[in-house]
Amino acid sequence: MTGSSISGRHSGHLSAAAYFGCVALLTLAGVGLAMLARPAFGHDMLQWIGLESVPQAQAASFYALRVAPLFETRCAACHGEKRQKSDLRLDSFANLLRGGKHGAVIRPGDVKNSELAARISLPASDDRAMPPSGKTPLTEDEKTVIKLWIAHGASGSLHDIAGAPKPVIEVEIPKLDPAAVEKQRAPLAVQVHRLQDQFPGVIAYEAQDSADLEINASLKGGAFGDTDMQALAPLAARIVRADLSGTAVTDASAPVLAAMVKLKSLRLSGTRTGDMTVHALEQTKALRSLAVVDTAVTAGALAPFRARGVTVYGDGDGP
Amino acid sequence: MDHKPHVPVWDIPTRLFHWSVVLLLCVSWVSADQGYMRVHLVSGLTLLSLLLFRIAWGLVGSTTARFSNFLHPPRRVMGYLKGLAGGDRIFYAGHNPAGGLMVLALIAVLLAQVATGLFANDGVRFHGPLALLVSEDVSTRLTDIHGLIFDLILILVWCHVVAVGFYLLVKGENLIRPMVTGKKHRAHLPAELNIAFTRLYIALLLLAVSAGVAAWIMIQGESIL
Amino acid sequence: MSQNHPLHQTELAQIQSQTRRHFLGWGAGGLGAFFLNSAMAAPAGENAALDFTRNPATPLSVLPPQFAPKVKRVIYLHMGGAPSQLELFDYKPTLARFHGHDCPESFIKGKRLAFIQGIPKLLGPMFPFHRAGKSGTWISDRLPHLEKAIDDLCVIKSMKTDQFNHAPAQLLVHTGDARTGHASLGSWVTYGLGSENQNLPGFIVLISNGGTTANAGKPLWGSGFLPSVYQGVACRSAGEPVLYLDNPKSVSRTQRRQVLDAVDEINRQTYKDFGNPETVTRIAQYEMAFRMQLEASDAMDIRREPQAVLERYGAEPGKTSYANNCLVARRLAERGVRYIQLYHWGWDSHGTPVDQGLNVGLVGRCRETDQPTAALLADLKARGLLEDTLVVWGGEFGRTPMWENRGGQEMEFIGRDHHPNCFTLWLAGGGIKRGISYGETDDMGYEIARNPVELRDLHATMLYLLGFDYRRLNYPYQGLDQKLTGVKPARIVSEILA
Repeated sequence: MTGSSISGRHSGHLSAAAYFGCVALLTLAGVGLAMLARPAFGHDMLQWIGLESVPQAQAASFYALRVAPLFETRCAACHGEKRQKSDLRLDSFANLLRGGKHGAVIRPGDVKNSELAARISLPASDDRAMPPSGKTPLTEDEKTVIKLWIAHGASGSLHDIAGAPKPVIEVEIPKLDPAAVEKQRAPLAVQVHRLQDQFPGVIAYEAQDSADLEINASLKGGAFGDTDMQALAPLAARIVRADLSGTAVTDASAPVLAAMVKLKSLRLSGTRTGDMTVHALEQTKALRSLAVVDTAVTAGALAPFRARGVTVYGDGDGP
Repeated sequence: MDHKPHVPVWDIPTRLFHWSVVLLLCVSWVSADQGYMRVHLVSGLTLLSLLLFRIAWGLVGSTTARFSNFLHPPRRVMGYLKGLAGGDRIFYAGHNPAGGLMVLALIAVLLAQVATGLFANDGVRFHGPLALLVSEDVSTRLTDIHGLIFDLILILVWCHVVAVGFYLLVKGENLIRPMVTGKKHRAHLPAELNIAFTRLYIALLLLAVSAGVAAWIMIQGESIL
Repeated sequence: MSQNHPLHQTELAQIQSQTRRHFLGWGAGGLGAFFLNSAMAAPAGENAALDFTRNPATPLSVLPPQFAPKVKRVIYLHMGGAPSQLELFDYKPTLARFHGHDCPESFIKGKRLAFIQGIPKLLGPMFPFHRAGKSGTWISDRLPHLEKAIDDLCVIKSMKTDQFNHAPAQLLVHTGDARTGHASLGSWVTYGLGSENQNLPGFIVLISNGGTTANAGKPLWGSGFLPSVYQGVACRSAGEPVLYLDNPKSVSRTQRRQVLDAVDEINRQTYKDFGNPETVTRIAQYEMAFRMQLEASDAMDIRREPQAVLERYGAEPGKTSYANNCLVARRLAERGVRYIQLYHWGWDSHGTPVDQGLNVGLVGRCRETDQPTAALLADLKARGLLEDTLVVWGGEFGRTPMWENRGGQEMEFIGRDHHPNCFTLWLAGGGIKRGISYGETDDMGYEIARNPVELRDLHATMLYLLGFDYRRLNYPYQGLDQKLTGVKPARIVSEILA
């Protein structure tokens, strides 16, 4: 019997064609079952073929503005492009509706039967809580936003949902670009240095990211006067804050002050300035705060400033 | 000379290896799916030791277990397959060339799976023993590959089952019983047989060493056990 | 020469330092040669430290903040001992209804309380509350003067801490860490910004109703790992501002100058030999003390204020009091001092001694602080200083809604135990929303219900108002870029910013 060729049809045996035919059918059946057991996979197939349209959300919808950023920051690390735990992606509107390995996680309009809502509501100690312990948890407001959205049909078009908590705005810290700042400071840089040496402790840049200047002569007292103000005149256009409290500055410095077109805050308390200086400032649109306690300034001169919303300190009692 | 119809071709270690892998694959699959990660770890490490053992056994084991016995150049494989299709079969004592290729593929893929598993993490609580030795990015990438290789294993296993089914239902040759009993019918064996069986105690020794290596790897890294 | 002879020791030290210097490649190139610290070598990343290098001879010289600030100085009014928020700002009518009932088990199960044992009773608010001002902020009747300024305040009711004892809690508030060794808020601020007045310390501390060593003591205004020149200087508001600041009666200012010049020279030589930057700082501090002799006494002398102002604060020259300290604080603010810290102790209303009862001690503390605090706010506002000053008022933790029963006994006086879960703190001044309440506690005043604010969040917000990214105001020490806010991420409380 050695070397006998067993080929073709033999009683009780299948033909190769029949066998592989069955195998093909079984394989297809298996894939089909997998698709049924994993509806997400099914959706993928249909969308890939083109039989199903990929759900989209509107750009200014409640979903896009309030819900999507939450999933992006809290969930997409494990349920997004890099990783798809349980075959679940939460990083797009379509993916949220698609669900994952165990089926849909969101039932639009039905919060109670939405697995996602259940998981985010679990106490942090529960093993199945999402996000899992160790990751930043969702705040109560954030959970409310998601559940409200599901309750309102998990819509991609709804713009406003009544009762949604207000969005939290995070403070953006301005970026510092030293090269750009240096360029902005360049035109007056030499003069600034020279005057800083001449008047130590009086002139400073407002901030490291700014070319604007502040002057504070209040600690110099009577030693700082009109001639000194004249010396600072070349810098006037860049000065945003000036504290001249208690100095020997008088109305003679009014033109220098008037040249400070970017001036936001001015302190003249305890100086011998009067209405003339104040009048000179009427064109300074940037002015927000003016302190003239113990000066010769009268209430009448201050009226237009009060009228346009400038905070005025000092009651304008005059001399 | 022994003229019984059934001849022993597969030694015990090889057979035990085969069915243990089948069992461990199932255990690994189910435990990963259901989230029993500790079981998955133990199952994976056991698989690692078995694979290491099998590779060693493939060098010093019984004739039919040795790689040199069933790994053939591609031309031989093609020749064998042509013979199979055309009806002019050549018989081999152990794995035929195609089967040998399957064995190689399966061992390689399983080894890759175990290796990537050592570095994998599930992003939450569990990670393989060596996951902390690499960066999180690398670990995640290897976890993805671990997932992809799983699909590959499924495909290979399906191919393997289909192939065994083909022999059984189309060629009338039962390959399953020999892998249990160790004996093949003379009708499916070549005329010249020269099978040497390596002593069992060597197998036990190699198994111990392999288990030791697996244990060492586990201790080297961090473990969830 | 014996081994113990001082000159032998000096020689040894010199040889060692030369070897060290050779090894480290230091040159002795004059003052400030190597004040170039690792800030120069730091990578220019997003969280890279900003450059705070200065001429070491003027360590407090002004540096511009990172971005345009909302405030230029801070006045921190710390009520030591932890004032009871339930008697001052956090109105809990539900708690009032449950007054005298047993405390629910969930409040105490598994929790560690400072002094309460067994099952205490609940204690409702001891004083009536009402809505005040245009903003309708809740306040009790204990602060009638502050009430007038309620529309300028931002009251945070959801502050939280994780320390339930005074010293670590105070350290956490003022240094960002519950253990000693870290730089205080004032030190960070003067490190980052310097001070406008080079003749006064940039960081001044004024204390009332308790000695300097109450609870956490001097580390509260210490400089920690920052150069010691940035530490707070505790000044006295009666008598000499700093003990032994003035020359002894027989020593004139000229003679003092001569002494200082001689000391300067020795220190410079020491610096050349050993290269310790603290030596340069020491020289600078001697110089400042010399300048302070003139200016500090003047700055802190409230007798120069008109009688009307003294009455508004309730200040009495010659005494040490919170009122005096508030007036001094305003004077220091006018004179360019960057960080002014007031401590008023005695708010620890446990109810053990009579002075700590809610119905006695707290009443006294309120009477001592209410008028001066309100006067300070009004005064700053009238002079146009409030718009660029940040005023902070608060304690180190809150007090429990439970009636304290120390050791399980009923107490003669009424008190509450320490409560880290929630407390109240208010802010006023530049960049802060006026007339609002932020954050809520639950009906019983036990846990925070909305918008918790960690202390590091408060610190991050304060630094933001001063013009700093809290991550970039850092200092390398012990292998870490140390920050006031510590290693956990902090959140700038955007909701309270104007």
